[in-house]
Amino acid sequence: MTEHVLSEQVEEPASLGAGRSLWQDAWLRLRSNRAAVASALVLLLLALAGFIGPWLVPHSYDQIYPQYVRVPASLEAYPKQDRIVPDFQSALERARITIGDVELSGSVVRAPVSDDEPLDPRITRYVDRSDLFDNARLQDADGNPLAEGASSGFMVADVQRLRFLFGTDANGRDLLARILIGIRISLAIGLLASFMALALGVTYGAIAGYFGGRIDNVMMRVVDVLYSLPFIFFVILLVVFFGRSFVLIFIAIGFTEWLDMARIVRGQTLTIKRQEYVQAAEAMGVSSAGILKRHVIPNTLGPVVVFVTLLVPKAILLESLLSFLGLGVQEPLTSLGLLIAEGASNMRGAAWLLLYPAVTLTVILFALNFLGDGLRDALDPKDR
Amino acid sequence: MAGEKVLSLRGLTVDFATPDGWVQAVRGVDLDVARGETVALVGESGSGKSQTMMAIMGLLASNGRAGGSALYRGQEMIGLPERRLNRIRGEKITMIFQEPMTSLDPLYRIGRQIAEPILHHRGGSRAAARQRVLELLELVGIPQPERRIDSYPHELSGGQRQRVMIAMALANDPDILIADEPTTALDVTIQAQILTLLAELQEKIGMAIVFITHDLGIVRRLADRVYVMKTGEVVEQGETGPLFAAPTHPYTRMLLEAEPTGRKAPPNPEAPRLLSGRDIGVHFSLGRSWGGEEALLKAVDGVSVTLRRKQTIGIVGESGSGKSTLGRALLRLLPASGSLEFKNQDISHADRARMRPLRRQLQLVFQDPFGSLSPRMTVGQVITEGLIVHEKDLSKSERDRRAIAAMREVGLDPAMRNRYPHEFSGGQRQRIAIARALILKPEVMVLDEPTSALDRSVQKQIVDLLRDLQEAHDLSYIFISHDLAVVRAMADYIIVMRHGQIVEEGPAEEIFEAPRAAYTQALLAAAVDNRRFRTAVQEAAK
Amino acid sequence: MAAYVLRRLLGAVPTMFVIVTIAFFMIRLAPGGPFDLERPLDPLIMQNLERAYNFDKPLWHQYLIYLGNLAQGDLGPSFTRRDFSVVDLFRVGLPVSITIGSLSMLIALLVGTVLGALAALRQNSWVDYLVVGTATFGITIPTFVIAPILSLAFGVMMGWLPAGGWGTWKHMVLPVVTLSLPQIAVVARLTRGATIEALRSNHVRTARAYGLPTRVVVGVHALRAAMLPVVSYLGPAAASLLTGSVVVETIFGIPGIGRYFVQGALGRDYTLVMGTVVVIALFVIVFNLIVDILYAWLDPRVRYD
Repeated sequence: MTEHVLSEQVEEPASLGAGRSLWQDAWLRLRSNRAAVASALVLLLLALAGFIGPWLVPHSYDQIYPQYVRVPASLEAYPKQDRIVPDFQSALERARITIGDVELSGSVVRAPVSDDEPLDPRITRYVDRSDLFDNARLQDADGNPLAEGASSGFMVADVQRLRFLFGTDANGRDLLARILIGIRISLAIGLLASFMALALGVTYGAIAGYFGGRIDNVMMRVVDVLYSLPFIFFVILLVVFFGRSFVLIFIAIGFTEWLDMARIVRGQTLTIKRQEYVQAAEAMGVSSAGILKRHVIPNTLGPVVVFVTLLVPKAILLESLLSFLGLGVQEPLTSLGLLIAEGASNMRGAAWLLLYPAVTLTVILFALNFLGDGLRDALDPKDR
Repeated sequence: MAGEKVLSLRGLTVDFATPDGWVQAVRGVDLDVARGETVALVGESGSGKSQTMMAIMGLLASNGRAGGSALYRGQEMIGLPERRLNRIRGEKITMIFQEPMTSLDPLYRIGRQIAEPILHHRGGSRAAARQRVLELLELVGIPQPERRIDSYPHELSGGQRQRVMIAMALANDPDILIADEPTTALDVTIQAQILTLLAELQEKIGMAIVFITHDLGIVRRLADRVYVMKTGEVVEQGETGPLFAAPTHPYTRMLLEAEPTGRKAPPNPEAPRLLSGRDIGVHFSLGRSWGGEEALLKAVDGVSVTLRRKQTIGIVGESGSGKSTLGRALLRLLPASGSLEFKNQDISHADRARMRPLRRQLQLVFQDPFGSLSPRMTVGQVITEGLIVHEKDLSKSERDRRAIAAMREVGLDPAMRNRYPHEFSGGQRQRIAIARALILKPEVMVLDEPTSALDRSVQKQIVDLLRDLQEAHDLSYIFISHDLAVVRAMADYIIVMRHGQIVEEGPAEEIFEAPRAAYTQALLAAAVDNRRFRTAVQEAAK
Repeated sequence: MAAYVLRRLLGAVPTMFVIVTIAFFMIRLAPGGPFDLERPLDPLIMQNLERAYNFDKPLWHQYLIYLGNLAQGDLGPSFTRRDFSVVDLFRVGLPVSITIGSLSMLIALLVGTVLGALAALRQNSWVDYLVVGTATFGITIPTFVIAPILSLAFGVMMGWLPAGGWGTWKHMVLPVVTLSLPQIAVVARLTRGATIEALRSNHVRTARAYGLPTRVVVGVHALRAAMLPVVSYLGPAAASLLTGSVVVETIFGIPGIGRYFVQGALGRDYTLVMGTVVVIALFVIVFNLIVDILYAWLDPRVRYD
């Protein structure tokens, strides 16, 4: 009632010039919605992190550091200062030579070594083999390479400083790199699956709605039957029995999520078909193609856009669920769901393995949901 | 004003909180209602007439705020706590609403809904309340009250639901009945029945009635005194007779003059026949029963029409009479049986491709100026869409030039052609829809209730516009409407329809002056001669 | 009414048929089989096994045999648990799953509607913001994140409740809470929206205009209207509880049919997987029928036709 009162009072646009289309209006409303704008920014950052991030972090997602299994998240570089000397010693001990006092200066570690026989230059391998040290070499007291046949000298090695901002997993892989790859996989599958659902649903729904009558009845009956299945079971069957490839996963998810889309598009098409502006266009002799292009599609777009933004988090959720159950992408590739599953099985003593991926996934889902809600409010302000 | 005052408003205001701050919808209304009198509150949409009464009943939307004073028998109602207000509303002051379809709770039987206020205000046993409900249903003329008392609202027609609302309003013998546009959503004949009922009940029971309406016919018929409202203020008030005879405020004069006047002269009888349909039938399937028999709804059943150049045929009927369906069938927008001719060319079986070149000469204007313009196209695009179909080679600037000309012709500022439909008022949108049809230079226009969704003053402007355009371009109209006043001003030939068939047809003057069919007489009686009706009711009541 | 139920049940037969057919052929056409062990079996034993389970017959024949058995309520023997038939397994698993599912549904309905109605009645107050905020969390955070976190917090760190397993009522708490949280959130949001809409509706305005006390306006007129969308949500709710139960049963190690299903699928246990699909489809169909009847009972405008 109040809207009516006001709309009657503020009408009669007086000023000249271009008006604002519904899209422009929606854009303005969206821009003034802080949660939606923040979500869009967060998503943009996460998308960048997922697609560029893996090249920027120093570790590859599948590189294993056996000495750094389940190290906690830390801003400090590994190895920790107090571990360098003992580790250097224990590496040298394996070479079965006599070792003097180990001294550490900056990132170079140095120890006098000697043996009854001439020192074999290959003993540097014992040091290099460790994740902690790099570029091991034998030197004389002046820092020159040790002459051949010498039986004493110094073992010098650079300390390899590694940073694991999010810690490492149970296999000694950098969690940050894995989460970034997980973001990439989750977003990619979410987008692809939504696109698939969109294509299927729009085509199916538009055909059913446009032709109507018996065709519509049969097509919607099929959708009803499919609706009565908890689709997760079919996805699990598909994935289990036909292999766990990336493509199959997003196809399977797309197949489960297109039903709602088909219903929405069909409903929209039916409504728009009955709208008087479509009848007016028919009365003017506009062709079916013209009606579809100028009237049906632009007016269906709003709800479809909103629905797709809400579809992406659903698809991501489903993918994570599959991965969580061990039915998603395969090792060493990973996804957020898989990381959460690994975290869950390691949560005693290594809670960060669960928390970081869980928080990442939650942030993605939240941002997508807020953005979707914002879009809905912007495109359809009466539907609060 | 005779008798004691039962309701007295002083400086009543209503404000609404909006994103742009507080907006005042009612700006200080003074109003008095005496015992047993009928007061009308008149105004166009947005004048604040409904909000004034909602404010005293404590029914404003949650963003609304009332100020000033409203005394019911000396009791201040503005700012009264809900608990104490509940002792007045529903008992001393009751209300019926415009929307009979949604004002009753769809989930409960009507008997229970009518009994609720009785039980809450008067107490007593359920059996006694049920007895009272039966009496009330009888009183408001519901047939078979014993059966209907257990009906759900959706099982009743619109008129019956409004009767149920009235029964509820009368249940506790109120002092004041507020009727907020109680007949606007109903068909003319039903409107008349409801108004008669209210008038009779008032004679019998003696409550005061506050009538909120935009329909001056109702005011003239029922009200003792009138308050005219405009943009939240009372601009004029007085006894009905004198006020109608000599209105002082220009707005009141405008409202009174806004009833479309003038008559359309019949066309030259020699004028060429443009569009004629013989034995037109439109049937919709209601589905097939188990036996295989297909149930058919005969929306239009064997109707014949002939339209000549510069003629206006008015098609009149209530909702469901098939008048709109007939209009669309005549333009071959619906599959129909029978034969159809346009300019001596048989188009009964013309397919889409053959119809396309003819479409520009056969145009359609709709009732709903909000639904008939695509919300995602600029007004310029809307108006020129037909040119894209029918004059493909036209340059963009030439199209623009024609759009400007068409907008000028319908009285719109061409500078607004880059704006979108939602930025225009109802009347402006209807002008846009007319410009869209006009730009194609059509010969025949089917006008489907083009003025029904508009305020009276805007209606008159659109009627004038349509008449001017007819003169200027030798247009022929098929004018579909339930509003007899408008039809009378527009049409020279009338077809009265009911249940898909023609009840009566003939030149406009004949139909209005000497209707033959009983149904036409009832329609006219209900709508046209208000004064005669009012005296008839008063005499009947005596 | 009885005719309606009968008609609906008859209408479910072709649906069931389609589901069983799709599932059967999908499972069978996939590579791999229940006897693909790491060490290949002796060909002779393999032959015997295949004969015993009718695998030597053409696929369409096996399909007909399965349909025939199904019509008699026989879901066949389990392949992975050799000593049990699928029906035996369900006799143990189904009550467990149903207990968890129905408890969760009940809690979700009770808590969700109360919270939603409270939020609607105190719109734009702190109660409202709290409910809406919590609901947004509940809807967004997936079950498989909540479950391990709850298990970590209450099971491992505080040690109040068992972190997994099945047996006493204590074992039920965490799974039921996990399952019901997202549903509480959805129901609360639905109830809130529907109540606000109902409070704005014309018939509630009528009730207020007739001086009915707030208790009646809200309790009798607004809330009943607000329940309608909640009732229609029950169908989808049951479906998502089923999905959730797969996760919850896996995480908490509960011997319900959800876990059977995942294990069966991984072990190519044809009959167990088929049996789960049949039972779940049947459950969904019957549940939807009950929901429709409930809806028609609440809303007189709906007729059985």
